[in-house]
Amino acid sequence: MCFSGHRCPSIILKVIELEVKEVMNIALLSGEILLTSGSEIYRVEDTIDRICDAYGIECESFVTPTGIIISGKSSDGSNESVSMVKRIRNRTINLHNIEIINTFSRELQLSTLSYDAAMDKLNGIKTAPYFSFVKRLLAAGFTSFAYTVLLKGTVIDGVFAALISLLIYSFLEQMKKVNFSQYFGNFLCSLAAGLVSISAGKLISSLNVDSIIVGSIMILVPGLAITNGIRDALHGDILSSQARITEALIVVTSIGVGVAISLLLMKYWM
Amino acid sequence: MIEILLAFLGSYFPAVLFNIERKNLVWAGLCGAAGWMAYKAVLTITASSIFAVFVAAVVISLLSEVLAKILKTPSTVFYIPSLYPIVPGISAYHTVLFIIEDKIVEAAYKGLETLGSAGAIAFGILLVSTVFRYINTQNIYLRKQ
Repeated sequence: MCFSGHRCPSIILKVIELEVKEVMNIALLSGEILLTSGSEIYRVEDTIDRICDAYGIECESFVTPTGIIISGKSSDGSNESVSMVKRIRNRTINLHNIEIINTFSRELQLSTLSYDAAMDKLNGIKTAPYFSFVKRLLAAGFTSFAYTVLLKGTVIDGVFAALISLLIYSFLEQMKKVNFSQYFGNFLCSLAAGLVSISAGKLISSLNVDSIIVGSIMILVPGLAITNGIRDALHGDILSSQARITEALIVVTSIGVGVAISLLLMKYWM
Repeated sequence: MIEILLAFLGSYFPAVLFNIERKNLVWAGLCGAAGWMAYKAVLTITASSIFAVFVAAVVISLLSEVLAKILKTPSTVFYIPSLYPIVPGISAYHTVLFIIEDKIVEAAYKGLETLGSAGAIAFGILLVSTVFRYINTQNIYLRKQ
C-alpha cells in the first residue's frame, strides 16, 4: 500500500537479492518492534507484507498481540520456504519506534538494503534513546496534576496526586527492570496510591480523597487499551481484540482491587 | 479556558510518556485540546456523553490525519496522546470499584458507559481513517492513469 503523502515508487531502483530466511528475519524483527511499541495489528501485518514485497518474496503473516507467525517463499519458483514464530511478552506504547519503522519499510520499497545494513538499522531502533528518566517522571507528575484539576479537584489535590504519581512511576520503572508481573505491579501501585492519599486526607481534612486517587492512577488505567481493542475488532482482527480487551480488564481489575483494599484497611485502622 | 489548557497539558505530558518526537509534541497537545473542546461543547448541547465522545474522536482523528499529511508521520502519533483525555479509563476503574463495593446497578451503568464510549471512539477513528484511505487510493489510481 502506498499513501500519497509519501513518495510512491513507480519503478524499484535496485533490488538486492537476499535469501528468503534473511528477508524473513528483517520482516520479523520489524514486526516485533512494532508490536512491542503498541502498534495496531493491521499496521504490523502491512509492514511485514511490504518488506517481503520489496525483496520480491511471497509471504503470509498472522499477528496477534502475543505473537507473530509468518511464512514466506521465494517467488522464482524454487521450493525454498521458511516459517517463523515470535512470541511477544511485553507491550508498551512507544510512538517514536512506530514512526521510525514506518519510514524504514517505506524506504525499503524505494531501494532495498543489504541484510547486515538492515539488521544494524533495526537493532539501532530497538535501543533508540527515550526521553531521560527525570523528564518522563516529571511528565507523569504533571499528567496526574492536569487530570486531577480537570476532573473537579482543587490545585492542592492536584499537587498531592502529582507527588503520588511520581512515586508510582518510579516504582513502575523499577518493576520493568526486574521483569516483575505487570498485574501485581499495578496492584501494588494502586494500593500505595490509595493508602497515601487516604492518609493525606486524614491529616488535612480539606482534601478531596477521591479526586486525588483518580488523578494519581490516571497513568495506570487502560482506557486506551480498551479503545484499541475495539478498534482491532472493527479492522477484522477479532482474536487480537479479545486479547487486548482481556488484558485491559485484568489490569483495571488489579487497580480497582488495590484501591478497594486500601479503602477497607483505612476504614478499620482509623 | 483553564480546562482547555489542562486538556492540552493532559495530552502533552502523556505524549512524553509515549516517547514521541519532540517536534510533534505540541501538535499532539493541540489535538487533545481541540478534542476536549468538541467534547465539552457537544456535552453541554446534547447532554449525551457517548455522542460527545464520538464527536470528539471524529475531530481528533480528522486533525491528526491532516497533520500526518503535513508532517509526514503516521497519524497514530497524534491521536493516541490526544485521545488520552476522553478515553474511558476512569469509568472502567469506577466499574470495578462499584462491583467490589457490591453496588451492582451502578456498576452495570458505569460498565455500559465504558463500553459505549470505547466503542464510540473506535468507530469515530475508523470512520475518518477509512475516508482518508479511500481518498488516498483514489489519488494513486488517478495518478496511474
